[in-house]
Amino acid sequence: MLIAIAYRNLWRNRRRTLLTLSAMVVSSSLLILALGVFSGMLEDMLASATEQYHGHLVVSKSGYQDNHDLYATIRDEKLPVMLENRPEVVAASPRLRAYGLLSGRDISRPAELLGIDPEREEKVTTLMAHLVAGRPLPSAAGNGALIGSGLARRLGVGPGDQLVFVTGAADGSIGNDLLRVTGIFSTGDSGHDNGLVLVGLPWLQQLLVLPGQVHEIAMRVNDPMAAAGIADRLAAELPPGLDVFDWGDLLPEMREAVASFDVSRMIVVLILYAATGLGILNTFFMAVMERTREFGILMAIGMRPRTVRAMVLLETLQLGLLALLLGGAIGLLMTWLMQRFGIDLSGQITPVTYAGGTILPRLHAAFDPVNVWMPCGLLLVVCMVAGYLPARRAAKLQPVAAIREE
Amino acid sequence: MRYFVILLLLFCAPAYGFGLDLRQLVRGVEDQYMGASSTARMTMRVSTVHWQRSTEMDAWSLGRNHFLVRIREPARERGVATLKVGREVWNYLPKVDRTIKIPPSMMGGAWMGSHITNNDLVKAAHVDEDYDFTLLSEDEISWTVEGTPKPDAAVIWGKIIYHIEKQRRVPQQISYFDEDMIEVRRISFDRVKKIDGRFIPLRMSVHPLEKPGEKTILEYRELDFNMDLTPAFFSLRNLKRH
Repeated sequence: MLIAIAYRNLWRNRRRTLLTLSAMVVSSSLLILALGVFSGMLEDMLASATEQYHGHLVVSKSGYQDNHDLYATIRDEKLPVMLENRPEVVAASPRLRAYGLLSGRDISRPAELLGIDPEREEKVTTLMAHLVAGRPLPSAAGNGALIGSGLARRLGVGPGDQLVFVTGAADGSIGNDLLRVTGIFSTGDSGHDNGLVLVGLPWLQQLLVLPGQVHEIAMRVNDPMAAAGIADRLAAELPPGLDVFDWGDLLPEMREAVASFDVSRMIVVLILYAATGLGILNTFFMAVMERTREFGILMAIGMRPRTVRAMVLLETLQLGLLALLLGGAIGLLMTWLMQRFGIDLSGQITPVTYAGGTILPRLHAAFDPVNVWMPCGLLLVVCMVAGYLPARRAAKLQPVAAIREE
Repeated sequence: MRYFVILLLLFCAPAYGFGLDLRQLVRGVEDQYMGASSTARMTMRVSTVHWQRSTEMDAWSLGRNHFLVRIREPARERGVATLKVGREVWNYLPKVDRTIKIPPSMMGGAWMGSHITNNDLVKAAHVDEDYDFTLLSEDEISWTVEGTPKPDAAVIWGKIIYHIEKQRRVPQQISYFDEDMIEVRRISFDRVKKIDGRFIPLRMSVHPLEKPGEKTILEYRELDFNMDLTPAFFSLRNLKRH
């Protein structure tokens, strides 16, 4: 009964209600879209940061990720296959890493060499997809090498040129051998472009005198955001002495970026809703003031103040729910459209690298449930807070004075 | 008046070092294996947690700026050589027949897999120029000399402490401290022998203190001074000859 009265009251001044409603719908739906685009950027960044080099999950000897100790190797050659057989793991790539001196014709630079199996690495990271010259490493890599563009420029080498790599091998000897550049990659991440070289795993194992051994196994999983959970489950099944790291452990700055995104999302929502809330407050105050006489009569014929307050609150609640439904629906539709089609901005801006990830020059949305339920939930809260003051005022009216007022 | 000041300075200068020129003393220690020129055959034994190995090397030096060392044994690494001229270091790798100049960023790296760095080869020759020295203590047997970097010198160590035996003027131990004044490396000397009128400790043990149990022992088996060497001997071409 009270609900029906409240609903009817809402539509007595159709224009005012529609205006308020549209403000709420527009603000919430645009907010959902904006947060979706934000999430899309974050997703691009995360993908570039993790899929470019680290992978989503990495298994290595405990402590290896802290000091990259040459001797902290995994000898179990069946482990990559075992990991790949898990349903949540898309692919696994064993890797061996060495730091040393890389020389072109005259110039030498320190470099990081990553020994990989090209076929498996391709399924885990996108490093091989960023070629700007030459060809990717063949599956039997031999002494072929993919070299970062900055490093190639500094050493003055191009595809087909010879390189010499020198490092301390695991048996204490001076490991040194020739490499031949097959291709040059450019990722946009200056750290990798200026210092990373991909070589065949068998070549590096022989140079370092670490036969059959690797330092880590990088993995791609089906849901990057669930990597931490998968890591926990995996950790329980791994042989002792091995640890599993998710991208958040390997790229703490990326985790920070995700956390700061959560905070900035909250701030944007609060600012926008403070404005929307004032609008709603204004509408309802006007509505209550206009109906002072009506409330006076209602109370004079026996409606209790509590009921009057409940009625006004029900009006705001109904308006809020309506706005929430419409705003959520429109917001979801726009997010979906943006996700499906997106807007390419590569003509206007260049990629930006931040926190180890690259933000691509495109507007593209990603669906994240929190981007919908949080604006909607908060909209309702704001609505109720904005409705409470007018409702209290209505409930406090003195019937006699209210009826006399004109 | 001006002459008086100069005279005063002249008279005071020798007194400053307690009658002992510390800079000259340290210079003598740092250059002990070089002389005007030298040839040597040495054995380097490196022990780490993971491996131990022994290398036989031939070495030549001229003054403090020219130095060439070449591996004889093990056979696998025969011909691997290092040339130092001034502040620059080259390595020659016979397996790939390439000469590699060590870039500044790699000067802190290990030399031939030992606990000696490329910087040690280069900067040791400049310690007496880059540091100021004070006598910390003195007893009947030895002096303890502290070297602190000159304000504008590009140095690696925050402090170096020399223990030098008085009578024979040979180092007993040298301690190296980092910027935080933590002792990170200790080199001790023994097997002192008189060669060409000078006392030389033929064995040098390098202990990296952050890696307990690891050490590099460099032992001179033959050492001759004042050989007939010219700067032309220390050439990139000669580096490759094996």
